[in-house]
Amino acid sequence: MVLDMILALPLLGGATVASCRHRAAGWAAVATNGAMLALGVWLAVHVVRSGPLTGADGVLRADALSAFMVVVVGAITVLASWLGVRTMALEVADGRCTPRRATAYGVLVQVFVAAMLLAVLAANVGVLWVAVEATTIVTVFLVGHRQTRGALEASWKYLVICSVGIALAFFGTVLVYLCALHAGGHSSSALDWTSLVSRARHLDPPVLRLGFALIVLGYGTKVGLVPLHSWLPDAHSQAPAPVSALMSGVLLTVAFYAILRFKAVTDAALGPGFSRTLLVVVALSSLAVAASLLLTQRDYKRMLAYHSIEHMGLIALGAAAGIPLAIAAVLLHILGHGLAKSVLFLTSGEIMAAEGTSRIDGVHALLARRPTLGGVFGVGLVALLGLPPFSLFSSELLMARAEFQVGLGWAAVCALAVMVVIFVAVTGHARHMLLGAPSTTDASASPPAWVAAPLVVGLVACGLIGVLAWPLSGLLQAAARVVTP
Amino acid sequence: MTGAWPVGAVAAISVLQVLGVVVGGPLLVGLMRKVRCRLEGRVGPPVHQPLLDLRKLARRERTRPDQASWIFSAVPVVLVATTLVIALVAPLLATDPAFGWSADLFALVYLLLVGSVALALGALDTGTAFGGMGASRAMTIGALSEPALLVAVLALSVPAHSSNVPTIVARSLTHPAWLATPQRLLSLVAFLIVIVAESGRLPVDNPSTHLELTMIHEAMVLEYAGADLALVKLGESMRLAVLLALFADLFVPWGVATGPGIGHVVVAVVAIAAKVAALGVALAVFEVAVAKLRLFRVPELLAGAFVLAVLAVVSALVVP
Amino acid sequence: MTSTYATALTLAAGAVLICAVVVLWVRSVRSVLAVVATQGVALGCVAMTLGLHVGDAGLVATAGVELAVKGIAIPMLIGRAAGDAPDRERRPLVNVPASLVASAALIVVAFAAARGVATFVGATGGGLVPVGVATLLVGFLVLVSRRRPVFQVVGLLLVDNGVALVAFLCTAGVPFLIELGVSLDALLGVVVLMVLAQRLRSEFGDLDLDELRELHD
Repeated sequence: MVLDMILALPLLGGATVASCRHRAAGWAAVATNGAMLALGVWLAVHVVRSGPLTGADGVLRADALSAFMVVVVGAITVLASWLGVRTMALEVADGRCTPRRATAYGVLVQVFVAAMLLAVLAANVGVLWVAVEATTIVTVFLVGHRQTRGALEASWKYLVICSVGIALAFFGTVLVYLCALHAGGHSSSALDWTSLVSRARHLDPPVLRLGFALIVLGYGTKVGLVPLHSWLPDAHSQAPAPVSALMSGVLLTVAFYAILRFKAVTDAALGPGFSRTLLVVVALSSLAVAASLLLTQRDYKRMLAYHSIEHMGLIALGAAAGIPLAIAAVLLHILGHGLAKSVLFLTSGEIMAAEGTSRIDGVHALLARRPTLGGVFGVGLVALLGLPPFSLFSSELLMARAEFQVGLGWAAVCALAVMVVIFVAVTGHARHMLLGAPSTTDASASPPAWVAAPLVVGLVACGLIGVLAWPLSGLLQAAARVVTP
Repeated sequence: MTGAWPVGAVAAISVLQVLGVVVGGPLLVGLMRKVRCRLEGRVGPPVHQPLLDLRKLARRERTRPDQASWIFSAVPVVLVATTLVIALVAPLLATDPAFGWSADLFALVYLLLVGSVALALGALDTGTAFGGMGASRAMTIGALSEPALLVAVLALSVPAHSSNVPTIVARSLTHPAWLATPQRLLSLVAFLIVIVAESGRLPVDNPSTHLELTMIHEAMVLEYAGADLALVKLGESMRLAVLLALFADLFVPWGVATGPGIGHVVVAVVAIAAKVAALGVALAVFEVAVAKLRLFRVPELLAGAFVLAVLAVVSALVVP
Repeated sequence: MTSTYATALTLAAGAVLICAVVVLWVRSVRSVLAVVATQGVALGCVAMTLGLHVGDAGLVATAGVELAVKGIAIPMLIGRAAGDAPDRERRPLVNVPASLVASAALIVVAFAAARGVATFVGATGGGLVPVGVATLLVGFLVLVSRRRPVFQVVGLLLVDNGVALVAFLCTAGVPFLIELGVSLDALLGVVVLMVLAQRLRSEFGDLDLDELRELHD
């Protein structure tokens, strides 16, 4: 029942936006998303205390991992839909967007969120696949929302590349299903997580190996992992800021959630070696690609997008370690990265609206001219680069510790070296944007308090989680146990 | 393969095969010309006209370009000789011809290839622009059609577990179920495309044109005259006859003599003549019905044939 | 009985792959759509044959969905969206003979790669799994070598059909509800792509996709 409600709330918000064209409808959507977040928190508490819940005739199932992902999705959705009200109001006022398209935007965002929730709550890998594919189709229009040449190109690339990836993921799912059927599963339940995990030891190793490789490649496309990552910087830089925030902050990690689940099944059948090798290779190459393209980046939204590839690489590396400590750290990183990255994308949307450009060399002296925006952007970057006190620092530290424990120390060192390069590159770009003396002709204004507030709250939350892991540690440990032996 | 063949019978069959190809080749070309003419509403020359042409040409003086070397004069002989060898060893009339052990499918395909390469060399040797152009076009086509032919026949050899053509024919006679399998159909289509390309006919080449933009084959033999031209023409028509006969053997093997006996051989002669004639008529009708492909689409057609042939082999290997 | 079943299955699956190869061969939109429709029908026939053989009503229903969506709806939608634009693949990145030869290589690769799965599944269906993989690989080839929007959509469809074929042969299809979701997603994906293609055309005029150069690093 709770699960159905969690799914229904964003759709309810969408229906409100569709039926009532007033600006207040946007706030109604924010309210339903807030209620969804509250229910998610309740669900997390409940699941940790008294075990998994099922809903909708067994189609939905929530264990600690699902509940954690619901919380992450909920938190970032609230942030993004809050700022979405502002973005659309600005665009309609500028005449860049008709009220009709603004309504369509509001509805699509809500459907997008519902699809992500369905993905993390699905009890069945088939439903998970359908949900992830649905997120692709819905977000295409969101990426192309501005209807500029760049936006059209980005959405075409996005849909084509992700469709290929998702087809491969389906192939992998079919192979896993094949193994499960041969291991004695019944056709109606063989695709359920619980039955897959319980039968894992009887799955045929060679076929499962091929299946898992395809799943990493396929869902890895949606995660933004090498080799099918090239859509990501285009899509994330062309979408409206709140959509970029949602895509970068949670959609990537929702896809990674799928890989984590399959990894649990694969590890139980084959031992951790296979998935570890695969993920380490993918992770290190993603990190290398991200670093090389960050060095010469000229566009700050694309810079943030490549930064997402880097963090997905780190997460994949952490997952490769595979012990409970590593998985807990990965999940913490998912939350921290989601918060910091979505705040940064939302801020960059504000900067772009104010400055009229997304080029790094078109923006300077932000701290002096727009202290709020500049401050949030700067602090957000500090969080994203993994400096204390933010939670990304603790999660990266924990992941590195876990990697050393399982003998992946060399990989952790490689990752650290890449991160140093990225640190230098990003601070260089940030210095250009933030510091310097303003010339007198430059405009300066700060966004209203109701816009700045959620951004600051997001960063404070990220910092607080980093300092006191307290409210989350129980949930993280329970969630990590779900996908570790 | 019932019982041993007496030496005399084997010799007789060999002679029959060679003679049949030498005489039957020009007759086949005449037949196809006749069919074309009838379909186009003309009476056309008699069926045996190519034989008369050959006789007339053989009496004429041979002229050679000044720059040409010995290669130029060797080419017609090579062309006819390679085709004669195929005619001798291939199982056209019986599943156990003389030297049947040497009728390996790779050997046969490469003998055909030797003929084509010889023609191209002869054309290059004349040093004329037409010769070079024709040779380059012919080799472009050959580079794709030879592998396609080889792979197509390979698909047939897989179920027979042998690359010896007489064995393949004998085994497919004893296992008629093989004839309806997908790999067989695929390789049949590939083989047909190759035959059309190799014999220089529409839609790949038009044997009755001397238009420089489109001609391939005719450009290569422009410089030959007299007895040389007669040999080239004879070789050409024999190649077509041999290819069609091989096709008939491999895909519709019924009628090939499996044992000694005058009755068997008579049936075989009638059967192969009828099959080749039927194929020739079909080819002629097809030629009238289609337009010539533009030159740059020809490699596509042959690449398609190659893919089909590969598909045939792969499915022969995988699908039991 | 069994041998009729095996022959029908082999022929239908073979038709799927041959359609994929023919896509590489043709240039005009109308003929490529005819080929895609044929492929959809062949795929439906595979599902139908399997369903009748096993006696599984769900699979027969899936076959119906597959026929309706991939054999009729999707080609019609693409045809309508492509409309009267004279959309031909004039200069593919890899020319036709080369891509045909490449497809032959891909087919061999597919058969080598899928051998493990094929033997694991066993029986007639298993032997045909490589055909699905080959279709998928040819789809990739179309995606990377063709530059017209319609041809890229067709490439995606080939990939999709290849995976669907493997799914049918390996597991007699996924459960019906999921299959319904999968087909719906494919349909929606194509609709969205065609809407995008129309917008691209109105924004950029008649273009090849590799001329899209707005976004780069």
